[in-house]
Amino acid sequence: MKNTNMNRRTFLKVTTVAGGGLLVGCSFSSPNSFSSSNEKDGDLGLFVRIKNNDQIQIISPNSELGQGIHTAHAMIICEEMEADWKKVSVTTGSYHPEYKKNMFVQSTGGSNGVSAWKQKLSEIGAGIKEMLIEAGAEQMRVPKKDCIALNSFVIHKPSKNSVRFGQIAKNASKLSFPNSPTLKNSSEYKLVGKSIFRVDVPQKVNGKALFAGDIKLPGMMYAQVAQSPVFGGDLKSFDKKSALKSPGVKAVIPIPNGIAVVADTTWHAIKGLEALKPTFGGGINEILSSKTIDKSFNEALNSIKESSKDNMVLDVEYSMPFLSHAAIESTNCTANVTSNSCEIWVPTQSQSICFDKILEITGLSEENITIHTPYVGGGFGRRIEVDEVVHAVMISKEMNKPVQVLWSREEDIQHDHYHSGSKARYQIKLDAKGLPKQWDNQVVKPDFMAQNYKILDALNFNPFNYLFTPNDSFIPGMIGLQKSPYNIDNVSFDYTNVDPGVPIGAWRSVFIGNAFYIESAIDEVAHFAKQEPLEYRKKLIGDNPRILKILDLLAKQSNWSKPLPPGHGKGIALFHELDAVTAQVATVSVSPKGKLKILKIDCVLDLGNYVNPSIVKSQIEGGIVMGISSALKENIIFEKGKVSQSNFDDYKIAKMKDIPEIEINLIESDADAKGVDMGVFPVAPSITNAIFAATGKRIRHLPIGKQRLV
Amino acid sequence: MAELMINGKVQQVNVEEDTPLLWAIRDSIGLTGTKYGCGIQQCGACTVLIGKRPVRSCGITVGEVAGKDITTIEGLSPDSRHPVQLAWVEEQVPQCGYCQSGQIMAAVSLLERKPNPTDQEIDRGMLNLCRCGTYPRIRKAIHHASELMKEVS
Repeated sequence: MKNTNMNRRTFLKVTTVAGGGLLVGCSFSSPNSFSSSNEKDGDLGLFVRIKNNDQIQIISPNSELGQGIHTAHAMIICEEMEADWKKVSVTTGSYHPEYKKNMFVQSTGGSNGVSAWKQKLSEIGAGIKEMLIEAGAEQMRVPKKDCIALNSFVIHKPSKNSVRFGQIAKNASKLSFPNSPTLKNSSEYKLVGKSIFRVDVPQKVNGKALFAGDIKLPGMMYAQVAQSPVFGGDLKSFDKKSALKSPGVKAVIPIPNGIAVVADTTWHAIKGLEALKPTFGGGINEILSSKTIDKSFNEALNSIKESSKDNMVLDVEYSMPFLSHAAIESTNCTANVTSNSCEIWVPTQSQSICFDKILEITGLSEENITIHTPYVGGGFGRRIEVDEVVHAVMISKEMNKPVQVLWSREEDIQHDHYHSGSKARYQIKLDAKGLPKQWDNQVVKPDFMAQNYKILDALNFNPFNYLFTPNDSFIPGMIGLQKSPYNIDNVSFDYTNVDPGVPIGAWRSVFIGNAFYIESAIDEVAHFAKQEPLEYRKKLIGDNPRILKILDLLAKQSNWSKPLPPGHGKGIALFHELDAVTAQVATVSVSPKGKLKILKIDCVLDLGNYVNPSIVKSQIEGGIVMGISSALKENIIFEKGKVSQSNFDDYKIAKMKDIPEIEINLIESDADAKGVDMGVFPVAPSITNAIFAATGKRIRHLPIGKQRLV
Repeated sequence: MAELMINGKVQQVNVEEDTPLLWAIRDSIGLTGTKYGCGIQQCGACTVLIGKRPVRSCGITVGEVAGKDITTIEGLSPDSRHPVQLAWVEEQVPQCGYCQSGQIMAAVSLLERKPNPTDQEIDRGMLNLCRCGTYPRIRKAIHHASELMKEVS
């Protein structure tokens, strides 16, 4: 048993629900508008609700994007509460200041849904259990020291009498939340650490899972939008008369950067937008293209350092393309704005950013803004952005009616906040033993944080861009990053930011470029030094038992040393971030005509401890699939100031046939649970390193696409 | 006005005949398990069955399917116990879940045609997109469902 000390500033508040039952909410001590008098049965902004009928509702601070966080949070709370797992349901909370975790925002991202919340949710579960035991003991008129909680009952051990949680929730709700609830030791866990089924799956196999676009409100209108395809362009003309004549069209409303048609059904809005025939012109970026962006990258790199002309030096350049998120759920938001309230339903990863935007547009007082986050049809970083929230809130405000805004897939692909392309150069000189004597590396990578926060742009510094570079040890500990596993002296790393002039943002696992660049470079150096790539890495890693263990297990799992037929190859890559480590081996074949087939991906990871290993594996698997997809085929092209692609016919993502057998082995360690997006990082370099092993052809520019492999 | 036969029920929908089936199902009938993903029959999120054939409902109009037997995810079974649904739960396939109605409908139809599909046949038959990357588990679940169907028959 571990004693805890609840942080006094965030003591929990307990309330009785109308009609009985118990709510555990959060501190309302801060002078915000969510005062206790406003609490209603329907209010969220809480963590746990126990109803009279024993049903337990968990309110998660995080959005369920598919990563399984609802299940993980419920497992953590129910473990300590001794709740009956079969009676549990989970929703995402509306915006609430208390949900702002260590990152100052209420958001879901950065692979920290478990690590940021495990301690607090455990304390909440344990505290509720203690209150229920006290109320149960009182009801049975027995000493509480003789009572335990089990399976949603409080049981008096000597007599075996019991009361249901639901029967005593109301009385428990009148007690105050314990200051130091006692937590279980992990050895006593019954749920946490087990691969139990997800809470959301039953609704996701019968069509009942509710997504934001499934919301239907009385009197709701449907809107379609057209934004300038050229970045920064303006609306030039539109045929309002024809649009209004189109069946079911109610209004034509300007929005930032474009125009919207509002109608009585989605299809009528689509037809209305067709009739509207909006045209756009201008845009400061009309001259922008993938070529001009590449040119700006080269100029930036040249300004840092001239390439070496020394024959003794490995002198190479790599690049990564721009990528779209392409979640299958297209961008959407439903809003109901009245004169004194605003309610939205949105697939968001950041209730905070939605909230701030709504405040800005409506000027409403904080307590009258509600943000619902039903299931999100894939986040991948795109849902941190809120363009669609702006549209829905503005249009609903103008219409004075609930409005559902759905972006067509074309709008979604052409108005994404793209994963930025980037470029890296290396000049590496070896000593007599073939180890790096001098390691020079220059990277140009447009920084989405700098696009949003000008201070980073002005400083030309974002610590994340230094991730995994051999000299990243100077990064302040504040963001908890680990040093690169490679011990290399004489490193010179230069990073520069360039604003590409197109919207960029976070994309699943975010800094995948860092993995592709360094793991390609290490592989090339090993070859340059005529050494075996896995052994070479181990030499550079030196004494690091955690990483060496992973590499040894991976070598065994992937039959690393087993000879392969001609045209076959294995490639290895690893990555270390957020105190999580992953390594992968790709096994590929390349036919004499150059046709690539990925035969298998082996993956070994150490992400610390696991709340639900099955969910973690599914996330790693998903990351590997997305990594294969982007490595093989994804590439957003800019031409004449706009994105060339517009739908899944020209922005191709992986299908079933592209995905080989994937074998994942999770190693458990003492580190905090985090990093379920770690699957993506090593995928591209393990594949390109395998292609090199199979053919001698080095792929330095992604995607692999139609590049000649033989 | 058109008459649609959906999940064994006759439904009157007050839409023009050129309305894609997808929007009639979602907006008019209110069955929201069938999803919009691309509007051009590429992603498969809107897959329904017409007879036993998988059809991308964004690319077929209400006029074209009037009177035909249409099944959406909601009509696949009364209790979510169709072998494909059971296998989907057993293998814990869904992540975000958005594409899964379409994936399940495509799998049901594949198993009609190929009761015992090989991996290669699954690759050829399952063309729906999933961005979360559930393909490996879908593959497993289809094999699992195939076994369950044999037990039933």
